[in-house]
Amino acid sequence: MICFNNVSFRYARGEESLKNINLTINKGDVVLVCGSSGCGKSTLVRCVNGLIPHFYEGELTGSITVGEMNVSQTTLRKISGYVGTVFQNPRSQFFNVDTTSELAFGCENFGLDPHEIEQRINRTVNRLDLTALMDRSIFKLSGGEKQKIACASIAVEPVDVIILDEPSANLDFKGICELQKMIEAWKEDGKTILIAEHRISYLFPFINRALLMKNGEIKKEYSVEEIKALTEKELHELGLRAESMENPSETRIKGIMDMSDTDKMVLFNMKYAYRGESAVFDIPKMEIPVGEIIGIVGTNGIGKSTFLRCLCGMERRCKAKLKVRDEEWNNRKRRQKIYMVMQDVNHQLFTDSVLEEVLISQDSEDREEALDILKLLDLTEYADRHPLALSGGQKQRVAVASAIASGREIILFDEPTSGLDYYHMLQVSELLKALKEKGKTVIIVTHDVELIKNACTCVIHFGNK
Amino acid sequence: MEYKLDRNTHSLLDPRTKLLLLFTSSVFVVGSAGEQRMRVFYWILVFIPVFLLFMEKEWKAGGAAVTIYVGSYFAQIALQHELTALESVLALMLYIITKIIPTVILARYIVRTTKVSEFLTAMHKMKVPDKITIPVSVIFRFFPTVIEESRAIGDAMRMKGIEMGAKKATEAVEYRMVPLIASCSIIGEELSAAAMSRGLDVGKKRTCIWNIKMGFFDWVIIVLCLVCFIWWGIGGLFI
Amino acid sequence: MDTNNNRLNAKDLINVGVYTAICAVICCAVAISGVIPVMMLFLVVFVPILTGIPYMMFLTKVKKFGMILILNILMGALMWVTGMSYYALVVGTIAGLIAEYIYRAGGYMSKWHGIAAYAISGLYCWANYFGIFFNAEAYFSTRQNFGQEYIDAVTRLLPAWMCPVLMIVDVLCGIIGGWIGTKLLKKHFVKAGIA
Repeated sequence: MICFNNVSFRYARGEESLKNINLTINKGDVVLVCGSSGCGKSTLVRCVNGLIPHFYEGELTGSITVGEMNVSQTTLRKISGYVGTVFQNPRSQFFNVDTTSELAFGCENFGLDPHEIEQRINRTVNRLDLTALMDRSIFKLSGGEKQKIACASIAVEPVDVIILDEPSANLDFKGICELQKMIEAWKEDGKTILIAEHRISYLFPFINRALLMKNGEIKKEYSVEEIKALTEKELHELGLRAESMENPSETRIKGIMDMSDTDKMVLFNMKYAYRGESAVFDIPKMEIPVGEIIGIVGTNGIGKSTFLRCLCGMERRCKAKLKVRDEEWNNRKRRQKIYMVMQDVNHQLFTDSVLEEVLISQDSEDREEALDILKLLDLTEYADRHPLALSGGQKQRVAVASAIASGREIILFDEPTSGLDYYHMLQVSELLKALKEKGKTVIIVTHDVELIKNACTCVIHFGNK
Repeated sequence: MEYKLDRNTHSLLDPRTKLLLLFTSSVFVVGSAGEQRMRVFYWILVFIPVFLLFMEKEWKAGGAAVTIYVGSYFAQIALQHELTALESVLALMLYIITKIIPTVILARYIVRTTKVSEFLTAMHKMKVPDKITIPVSVIFRFFPTVIEESRAIGDAMRMKGIEMGAKKATEAVEYRMVPLIASCSIIGEELSAAAMSRGLDVGKKRTCIWNIKMGFFDWVIIVLCLVCFIWWGIGGLFI
Repeated sequence: MDTNNNRLNAKDLINVGVYTAICAVICCAVAISGVIPVMMLFLVVFVPILTGIPYMMFLTKVKKFGMILILNILMGALMWVTGMSYYALVVGTIAGLIAEYIYRAGGYMSKWHGIAAYAISGLYCWANYFGIFFNAEAYFSTRQNFGQEYIDAVTRLLPAWMCPVLMIVDVLCGIIGGWIGTKLLKKHFVKAGIA
């Protein structure tokens, strides 16, 4: 079905990312390709959907066949009628603005008869229970809902092979459960499925085999039994996430301490509603312990990110007050005292070098201190590099460096570990602890169970009244 | 409840009619072709976008537009005497606003109510090449994205306290533009990859699930637009 | 490979759409300030300088004939629809074609050809004023109710000789914008490896 014969690939800019891949995947197989970031798993699946070599330029040797087609000699359009792909970033994979058209998009491009497309859409929507998401604007959906639509739009297409490129990166527990249903349905239909992931346990019920990649090579092949048998420690050594399917809202953290003695800040009158809609949340009073690492959990779309934005004073329409020690902070004051590391760190990188980035975050530029911060975060060797050129984990560290440099006492994080592998997640959790050491109060919105277990000293559960 | 796709779902007007209306409106409302002779048509064209807003149940926006038109109409009457410098500046501002607002409302209406797929097909029927229609449909989708990204960047700047530019005006521009372009270019690249992996290509036949047909309102608008141009043309013969 | 092919593919067209959207948003932001009458004159200064940055990034994606032209046609059409004049579309198309040839002469990579192409293609911005120059009579006849005084003031501000002056200003600002664009491109996007 899918056959790699001695395939190597080197991106036009950059080093070799696939080395001598030999691989055969049979029809109806569900194969997991796992490994830490940068191991080449995404590159491997791009060879199957034809984005390599037709979209990403580079040097390809060896031959890849999918079905009867030789990938490098077949047009992308032709391959796309046979292979469907769900990508990692739910923000960027939609061509349409409304959900219904998005479901039809692929079939329309292949020139399928509209009646048939209609039937396919009806079947998919009813089977996957998506009625509530139809005829909506893509821009009004949460990340999890977007990913559901992305999966459904592939399910509508008459493809035989389905590729998932880190589909769970932006999903919460509920989203992952939905994703499981989707994969189960595809498996029932006998589709061949290839999944690149570093969160693996949610896939155990479906896969036939797992490939472990490292530095562009297939290091090892596991059967389901073998990979299930790996201990947490072994998985971590491979850079993989070990969390079992667990709802973060039910996560218990070890060694809960007695909070009655710690200093607390008090948040009053925290409520917010989008224009013309009912309140997202309405919290008359809330106590937050000072100097701890506080995790805020709750399902996607419940308003956690909005909560953070209100907390740091960025939403003018939220009139909350935060009482710290004996001072009352209004929005303006909070903007000066609280720093937020946003989910998309790209929005927070402004300058042309890492050092410069730290310097503009300081109240008054202090080179010595800036260099110390870089050293603390293990960024010294990147001081002159452009922040945009760094990897995801490194960018996250630059964002943290800026947060420290700002000298503010409360630091907020919005999903700091989404899409990070075990090693990088651990790094972030160490950073959070370092912030606590410095006496900062850290508040994180997250659905990453492993991060909560590793770093948080206190968990606040966000839910409907 | 069983879901059933209704292929006849569409907004009041066909994409082609919307474009004709936009064209007519830009000639007669913004371009003021025909002057006094087109007075009646001018006001009809000004109020059609408001009507469309109401049809889409956007009461607030529609109400605001009416208020602005009425307000500026009386203001213009009030300003019909010898003007001081300040008053003439004010008058011109009013003038520009009343000229541009109808078209802006119309353009916004079109972007909001036209499905990308509908648009591609309607344009294809009019023999507009893919080379124009694909970029235009990307603009539809990307306009909100650019604004969304730009807001997020603005927020980040506010939080860092660099919204006014740390030292120089050039920095304010640099800080705003660089992340915006970086992030849009990444999203654009991923969008292309996703669209192409779903079979989007240039010059290939594609189908459309939406039934595109001209309805009653379409013909009303088309006739109106034609009358506008004919009236304008006839007037030209006599003067 | 698709890139050896000289036909525009979906990726190229999507890129055109993306960068047109960015330029259009910038133009809108500047044009909103154009409601203040004097600012209107500065459109020709700010638009070329600000859009230079995305435009230079756009040029790094241009390797085939046609992309610049399409971007210009679209910008011209947008200008026209949002209330400037149809001259923007006409001039934009011609300027786009010239820019296309200039950039091709530079082998789709020369920095100075790129700046020149940008400066020329930005002329759609200048064309917005044609309504005032070519049809001054008609342009002002609708504005009678503002009083002769006001019309005199504007006509004084915009005598016919201002037309070529504005063109030169537009091209100069285009060159400045393009130059700033290449600077930032080098400082950021090339250094970051995304250009």
